[in-house]
Amino acid sequence: MSKPQLNLTRIIVLDLWRHKWVLVVATLVVLNAILVVYTSHVSRKLTTQWDQLLQERDRLDIEWRNLLLEEQSLAEHSRITRVATKELNMSRPLPSEEVVVRLP
Amino acid sequence: MSKQAKRKQKPELIHWRLYVVVGLVCLLFVSLIGRAAYIQIIEPEKLRHESDMRTLRTTSREVQRGLITDRNGEMLAVSVPVRAVWADPKQVHDKNGFADMRRWQALADVLHEPVDAILERVKSNPKKRFTYLKRQVTPGVADYIGQLKLPGVFLKSESRRYYPAGEIAAQLIGITNIDDIGIEGIENTYNSWLTGTPSKQKVRKSRDGHVVERLDIVQEGESPNDLVLSIDQRIQQLAYRELKRATEMNRATSGSVVVLDVHTGEVLAMVNTPSYNPNAREKLKPYRMRNRAMTDTYEPGSVIKPFVVAAALEAGTIKQDEVIKTYPGLMRIGGKIVRDSRYYGDMSLAEILVHSSNVGMTKIALSMPVQQLLGYLQSVGLGNYSGINLAGESAGLIHDRRRWSEFERATLSFGYGLTVTPLQLARMYAVLGSKGVLYPVSILKLKQKPQGEQVISPAVAQSVMHMLVGVTQKGGTATQAHIDGYPTAGKTGTARKAVAGGYGDDYVAQFAGVAPVNDPRLAIVVVINEPKGDKYYGGDVAAPVYAAVMSGALQMLNVEPMTAKAQVQLAGIPRSAE
Repeated sequence: MSKPQLNLTRIIVLDLWRHKWVLVVATLVVLNAILVVYTSHVSRKLTTQWDQLLQERDRLDIEWRNLLLEEQSLAEHSRITRVATKELNMSRPLPSEEVVVRLP
Repeated sequence: MSKQAKRKQKPELIHWRLYVVVGLVCLLFVSLIGRAAYIQIIEPEKLRHESDMRTLRTTSREVQRGLITDRNGEMLAVSVPVRAVWADPKQVHDKNGFADMRRWQALADVLHEPVDAILERVKSNPKKRFTYLKRQVTPGVADYIGQLKLPGVFLKSESRRYYPAGEIAAQLIGITNIDDIGIEGIENTYNSWLTGTPSKQKVRKSRDGHVVERLDIVQEGESPNDLVLSIDQRIQQLAYRELKRATEMNRATSGSVVVLDVHTGEVLAMVNTPSYNPNAREKLKPYRMRNRAMTDTYEPGSVIKPFVVAAALEAGTIKQDEVIKTYPGLMRIGGKIVRDSRYYGDMSLAEILVHSSNVGMTKIALSMPVQQLLGYLQSVGLGNYSGINLAGESAGLIHDRRRWSEFERATLSFGYGLTVTPLQLARMYAVLGSKGVLYPVSILKLKQKPQGEQVISPAVAQSVMHMLVGVTQKGGTATQAHIDGYPTAGKTGTARKAVAGGYGDDYVAQFAGVAPVNDPRLAIVVVINEPKGDKYYGGDVAAPVYAAVMSGALQMLNVEPMTAKAQVQLAGIPRSAE
């Protein structure tokens, strides 16, 4: 029995080499599948983040509205007038007392 | 070794066993594949539905009603989100919600209501599916109620409208009802502009409540719009303060002030007394909520006189330099008498206006056909809507009839027999200041000057305005309307109020004017209705308000006063060390 010695490893490698394009494509398919998973994961995270930012915006809007109310009630003209005249002893000059300063 | 034993040593294939095992294994795989195919291909909907039930949610984005601001961006109306507490009585009963009474007690405490009253609402009809427990609850309280975890008690978003200006602009801005719908004033007229609709969107939520996927939009929301008014809150506040003081001092029934920008027709202030606090809705009274400056009409009296003079000048029936004899200070027409407060002698047109001579005015009015006079008054805005476009505006009344007695024509010339609103009057006086151009009144801030209409020739408008300067100077009827630094042209009016069958003892005191005369900016009308004090003349009651509002407003608008003082020049000398 003198069959030629076959190297199995060699055969496998040769065979793989013969179908190299299939291999490349198969790898790409797997890579692609992983990327799809990864992308959808990232997109979900971004969506969550977006939603949280929207909620944050709504919260800030509400806070802004409340601050506006506070500002309006503190800066109310009659209150300013009262504080200026009573506490700071200021008074509004009559038109005849006004001095016009012209910028050159 | 026997033959039998030998046979046994050699293993034999038992075929039927092999077939059974292989068959079973195949069946297993076939059924698995079949099941998978069934789920995946034949009936995938059911599981998808199950999944969607657990992850799909519809979120809605609440929108707040638009802001109303004055021309400088100061807030006049702001919406803030609050919550409404409501209960589903059926669910409360089904889930045995009354087991823990401490929670109900806590709810009652935080809502400041007796616990029995709340329980009564829930218990009265166990089949009911909805009842409000409390509306317009602040977010803090709402969170607390949420944490009580009462079965069948829920929170709902709604919004509350705040009016930082309070009573100062109450009638003009109006109010919304509890469902956020404008029912008065600007809130009512511009309701659809200010209102938005919430957008609804389908989303997929993960187990921990995060949104992971946004799906289709169920309902396209409409974002609300803000509104910028032409009002200047500083002037509005000043006008309200002065008017309120005058109304109280003279114990008047009501009062109105209108401030118009002469060159654009924008309303800078429109205030009324008595007013109300729009933030406290419990004590609303209709008579306080009316925007009297545009809804209430009255006979104007003497304030109409400058326009009769202008009409006669325009018609050419009298001349600029005409001197009119008023001897002896009274005049008999058709069995009735027109009289002046005293005999003033022969007068020029300016003097007739300054002394508010009825006899002189009668002569002027009788010099021209009545239809021409009426047509002229109509062209300056009497009997027409002003263009402000708010609900409830009144157009006033001008009689349109064929036959006029001479006495009626005479009374027309000093402001009886026709009615106006304060807003119309302000618009008429603005015409004098704008060289005869009539602009539509606007309550919204304008981006560009509107198209006006030349209703008086510039020369006549100018000369009538200059005739009115004397009114506020020494010897005129309204020295209290004099402003140092801003020469003002104005006219008083004190009209008796008509009652059934004649004229009563109540008066309407008015002052209308434009200033500064050299370059008019503002037209202001002050109307004080039924002053009950010792004084009731327009020159005593309304003129001080006019002077205070006009001088303050012109100062705020940075209008340069005309003073005799030398003007300070910024010196160009560098202040370096010597």
